[in-house]
Amino acid sequence: MNALVALCHFCELHGPRTLFCTEAVHPPSPSPPQPGSAIPGDRDREADREGEGLTMRANSSATQRADMCEGCRSLPASHPGFVSVDSETGIRYLSHQHPRQPQLFSVVRQACVRSLSCEVCPGREGPIFFGDEQHGFVFSHTFFIKDSLARGFQRWYSIVVVAMDRIYLINSWPFLLRHLRQTIQSLQDTALKVFDNEQCVCPQRAVRMNSAFSPAVFPHQRSGNAARSLTSLTQHPNLWASLHSSFSWLLKACGSRLTEKLLEGAPTEDTLVLIERQTEQEEERSGWDGAEGGGSNPQPSQSESVQPKDFQFDDGRQEDLLGPKFKSLRHLRQVLGANDFRQLAWHVLMGNQVIWRGADPGLIQSAFNVLKALLPVGCVRAVLYSPHYEEAYRCNFLALTHVSSSEFSMLVDVLNVERGCVNPVSDDDILSLYHEFFLNVSFSWFVFLSGPTLLNKIEVALSNENLSVEVVSLCLLCLKEEWMNKVKVLFKFSKVDGRGKEDTQKVLALLGATGPGEEDNVRLLKFWMTGLSKLYKSHLMTAVRGGERTLSQ
Amino acid sequence: SMPTLLQKLFSKRAVGNDNGNARDLTCVSLFFSWASSEFDLAQIRLIVYQDCERRGRQVLFDSKAIHKLDASEPYTRPASDVNMLGEMMFGSVSMSYKGSTLKIHHIRSPPQLMVSKVFSTRFGSSTSGSTNTLQDSFESMSQTFPSHTSSIAHSNPVDMPSRGHSEDGDSGIARSASLSSLLATPLPSPGSSFSSGCASSYQRRWLRSQATSLQHGPMPRWNTEEMFSLSDESCSSNPAMIRRKKIAISIIISLPEREEENHNFQEFFFSHFPLFESHMNKLKTAIERAMIVCRRIAESSQRVQVYLCRVMEALGEFRMTVWNLYMAPRISEPVWLSMISQSTERNLLCQRFLKEMSLLMDHGAKSQFLSALLTAVLTHHLAWVPTVMPSSLPPIKTACQKPASHTVDLLAKSHPYNPLWAQLGDLYGALGSPVRVCRTVVVGRRRELVQRVLYILSYFIRCSDLQEHVQPQGQMENPDNPTNPCSSQTTDPTPEKTFPPKPDPLKPTACVIEKALNPESVPGTFVEQNNDTLLTDTKSTNPSSSLESSTVRPECTEMGQECFGEDGDSVGGGLEHILANQSPLLHRVQFHIGSPRETENEGQAGGLSRAGCGRGLDRKLHQRLLTDIRRNESSDSALGDSDDEETSLQELYMATEQKEYELPLPSYQVESRASVNHFGRSLLGGYCPQYMPDFALHGISSDLGLKQCLMSDLEHTVLHPALDEPVAEALCIVADTDRLSVQVVTSQRRVCEGGRLGRDVMVSNLVYTLITSVLQLYALNIASDFCVMHLEDRLQELYFKSRSLAEYLRGQTRVHVKELGLALGIESSDIPLLAAVASTHSPYVAQILL
Repeated sequence: MNALVALCHFCELHGPRTLFCTEAVHPPSPSPPQPGSAIPGDRDREADREGEGLTMRANSSATQRADMCEGCRSLPASHPGFVSVDSETGIRYLSHQHPRQPQLFSVVRQACVRSLSCEVCPGREGPIFFGDEQHGFVFSHTFFIKDSLARGFQRWYSIVVVAMDRIYLINSWPFLLRHLRQTIQSLQDTALKVFDNEQCVCPQRAVRMNSAFSPAVFPHQRSGNAARSLTSLTQHPNLWASLHSSFSWLLKACGSRLTEKLLEGAPTEDTLVLIERQTEQEEERSGWDGAEGGGSNPQPSQSESVQPKDFQFDDGRQEDLLGPKFKSLRHLRQVLGANDFRQLAWHVLMGNQVIWRGADPGLIQSAFNVLKALLPVGCVRAVLYSPHYEEAYRCNFLALTHVSSSEFSMLVDVLNVERGCVNPVSDDDILSLYHEFFLNVSFSWFVFLSGPTLLNKIEVALSNENLSVEVVSLCLLCLKEEWMNKVKVLFKFSKVDGRGKEDTQKVLALLGATGPGEEDNVRLLKFWMTGLSKLYKSHLMTAVRGGERTLSQ
Repeated sequence: SMPTLLQKLFSKRAVGNDNGNARDLTCVSLFFSWASSEFDLAQIRLIVYQDCERRGRQVLFDSKAIHKLDASEPYTRPASDVNMLGEMMFGSVSMSYKGSTLKIHHIRSPPQLMVSKVFSTRFGSSTSGSTNTLQDSFESMSQTFPSHTSSIAHSNPVDMPSRGHSEDGDSGIARSASLSSLLATPLPSPGSSFSSGCASSYQRRWLRSQATSLQHGPMPRWNTEEMFSLSDESCSSNPAMIRRKKIAISIIISLPEREEENHNFQEFFFSHFPLFESHMNKLKTAIERAMIVCRRIAESSQRVQVYLCRVMEALGEFRMTVWNLYMAPRISEPVWLSMISQSTERNLLCQRFLKEMSLLMDHGAKSQFLSALLTAVLTHHLAWVPTVMPSSLPPIKTACQKPASHTVDLLAKSHPYNPLWAQLGDLYGALGSPVRVCRTVVVGRRRELVQRVLYILSYFIRCSDLQEHVQPQGQMENPDNPTNPCSSQTTDPTPEKTFPPKPDPLKPTACVIEKALNPESVPGTFVEQNNDTLLTDTKSTNPSSSLESSTVRPECTEMGQECFGEDGDSVGGGLEHILANQSPLLHRVQFHIGSPRETENEGQAGGLSRAGCGRGLDRKLHQRLLTDIRRNESSDSALGDSDDEETSLQELYMATEQKEYELPLPSYQVESRASVNHFGRSLLGGYCPQYMPDFALHGISSDLGLKQCLMSDLEHTVLHPALDEPVAEALCIVADTDRLSVQVVTSQRRVCEGGRLGRDVMVSNLVYTLITSVLQLYALNIASDFCVMHLEDRLQELYFKSRSLAEYLRGQTRVHVKELGLALGIESSDIPLLAAVASTHSPYVAQILL
């Protein structure tokens, strides 16, 4: 809990005193604040203090300590205090007579004085909450401890819980009251036993009745009595260590009394696929170097976030390769020209094999990098620098050095590249490309007639020069997610539930996949289905087998 | 299916009767009332007290002393307890702090809770001490009790402010913090974004934990300067006069006699305190106004009458609000919270939810009622956004289940914040920037229709679910309970049980030193144990000297023995010995202690230091020596001497250099259970008898009452947000199921054409297609579980769209709506929604669109 607990005592000679204080010191923030988001505060505190009353002024350690008796002390001055560390959270609970953090010294002093000499509690024993924004907020519980030598045979104490979070402190009232009562009860019971013992040995009432009252002697007598410490009143040698444990526990328990279950959105399919591939790779790797003990590369940790970026070509190290590159889809489109780009994109979206052939691996790799953004991660299967042709089922992106052919594939030949041009200034100058299709012409024509809805929208975004590259890529992300959601529905409908054609047509209509470009849309949806994560697919299958009784947890 | 915890708890309290109609199966039985017993309005008492330097304390109002306002004698003898209550409100020592002070007292018999706010007063320049007129009237009345008529002659109208001086009394309530507080609202810089899904939730919580951190010390926040205005003039007050008078407003609530009811009410009261406080602030404003208004009345008895009337009216409203807050029916199974907490019933819940939604869709099909309503709700109750922001973490259990935020979880553990506060902000949708808070009221004569709407909305108005971790029942009584500090003594005299001793070869050394250090302590196993840790610590914190320390330790022992004698008992003798010998070691350390130039002198002393013993231990010894010297010296004189001051400062300085004894944190045995007293359960209301200002969602039968109170209520929300942070705007969505209209009322625009409450909501095309496609899937008999998953996917699409919009707006000076439509698929009707969503992750969006 973002608070401190202190035991205070109203010393008959010295007034209200802080005896023992347990603070929680939190570890440095797990995540720094964002730049520009200043934490409120850090005002001139001296100025704020201006209006404090006389009784509140006594916040310097000097005046207080100059005037101290055993009753005002907990740990001897040389005692370094206690610490307990919560290994799980890194929070350290520190106990001393006074708070270690200087800015809290006067806060605690104030709380102590108010608790024992300003605020009025009916019956003098019990809980009060008080406070303000300047001095912090205090939950205080006052109580008496029996002392056979004290005036009225008792001494007055309080336990204060100080926090800046007014609302949480008030929210915690029932909890704090319940537990502090127990702590207080325990102290009182123990002191009562000591008191009873002492009274048996030497009944003080009788002593006092019999001793003659002398105004001259009285103060001196009393000053002698005032020096009893709480340790002596309870005959508990480890009292302060125990109180430290109690207070630390209280701070921890009160701070974690309520927890919230806050949900995030489910990971996207792209993230799931990346995780699955990563796991597969690691399994492979651990299979490879299983002999080494495999301790160095554990499973991807829960806290490690996956960046869906360059996963596919992580062995390529594009930056190392010199020469011209495609920087974005828009760039590629500018180089190829709108029509050729449209054809290329169409083949990519439909899952047809796209073969790039040329001598510049860096260029081809950059082309694949921008093109794969058109597809869900699960749909991308790329083979780079293959010396021979690979079948379409193995890869939809293929970089070749030799000519080859396939029925449903598109070949892009990179013919003339200005080599050594490290710093391509003008996009149009970089390269001229020649491409040819191993497809029949009519199929290509179809692309120009309507095309899948997704492609049309992408082209609008790409052709609008007002939109920055970032906007375009977010726009593409939106479109892909939108269509992945349609893919999920179609998968559920056709593959999981196995519905008939008529129903499927209805679903396509409600998904907005019908109308112009319907055939392409359906093709795209079917291809994209192959990109769904295993996790997702198996979840839907299990749900069905379980009679739609989802095994959610 | 298994009845849920809440069903079990509240099954007997269900409001209305379940008529078994299968079609309307759900709604009627899904609402419950919070309280288990009647709550009497007279249980709430109001006292207004004044503490004046010159005149002492006066009761300015006590609802217990007032019977009926229309009676000839509205007030009776002051209640017997007012003096005591006055003491409690103001304290026995007057505080000169000029801000407002909050106090809560528990009175044992009769059991009562008292909440007080003590304010400094603010006068206008021309009306110094002008409350005196009212006060005089009161004084004279109580003096001349029972007949008050004679008092009129005594009252002194000379102090009256000149009438007509400031007729516009309504706008004069002084506010100190509205503008500055808004400026103080932290606005994270644009361009910063988290990779994790719950960025905005995390950010909000992190800032809260920092803003309320004790480690930063007191940080006066936005509402510190709240005062009690005794004048409607806005001129600045003379600071010298501020402190002369304090006014306390106290609400005293009689607690139920029965233990269980008492417990329940207290749990409710303390967990919902921000709401109670907000209403107290409203009450305070009304009392302020009553005092200002009545001062314009010359005739004394009439003045008092007006004052009493106004205050009683305000109290009546307060009582009603509290009663409503406690007694009003609630949605017992809010869809969202139930889904995330009861996974076994998920399918059933999904089915029920979709069924209700499709029924409502059919009902308001022509007017697009549901689409308009959801557009408004998704725009303003923004807590759904973090729940669809994709997680970057692999799912733990099931593929499609939303994961709990890991980062927020970690934050809560290491930097605790108040989960109840977080929840309240979620429900009011206070996630955007600038902070706006929203509530939704569903109006309609047809109860079951209103309840259906409420039920559906309880899926879209989201918040986190709370769990409570408490000690198991039996554990509290266990003597080994960590809250029981004397346990080890009472149950088992051997402390080894608590701190198992570790074998340590250095033990004898430590023992001797400890005896010397701590004459109070009885030599025992526990003490030894502590010192073991001490020595280990010294070693571990000073790795460079670890070798040294092990070699010098015998020297230490020697010194200890030399100083204090073999038995270590005669501390005084040891000290004398040291003082007489003036050992070089001591000499050095005296130089060392507390000097800010310590490091400079390190060079000189270094040789000794390294040759001597471990620094930490060394110091502690000498610290102790000094203290004991002082003690011996000062024991004769009661006053102590002047050196003490210096030394004690040194002590404090020293304390920051020392290393504490480490003790294990007591084991933390807790039992976890679903929290009952939280806002997710309490602020999603049912079909209520009247408008409920606190509820994030509820239904009422007619908007007649709304028109009267809504505007002032929204204004109050902005001035005194229960959320405890500055709020820029308060909104209310009013959905009328009779007229099938949806309007948004805002605190910012007072006038709406044609006497209407607010603006009509433009249906977002994205929301419309979202609902239709989900319901069409449902109509095609696709599993409802899947339909709900699809709904979540579509909500996630909205989030992605808002990201594009935010990116588009970055650096844009003009927004081309057509361009948005063509390129991003965002139509003008979607812009308010997407901009609101964008403001949760990209705060700059609001600034651009303003």
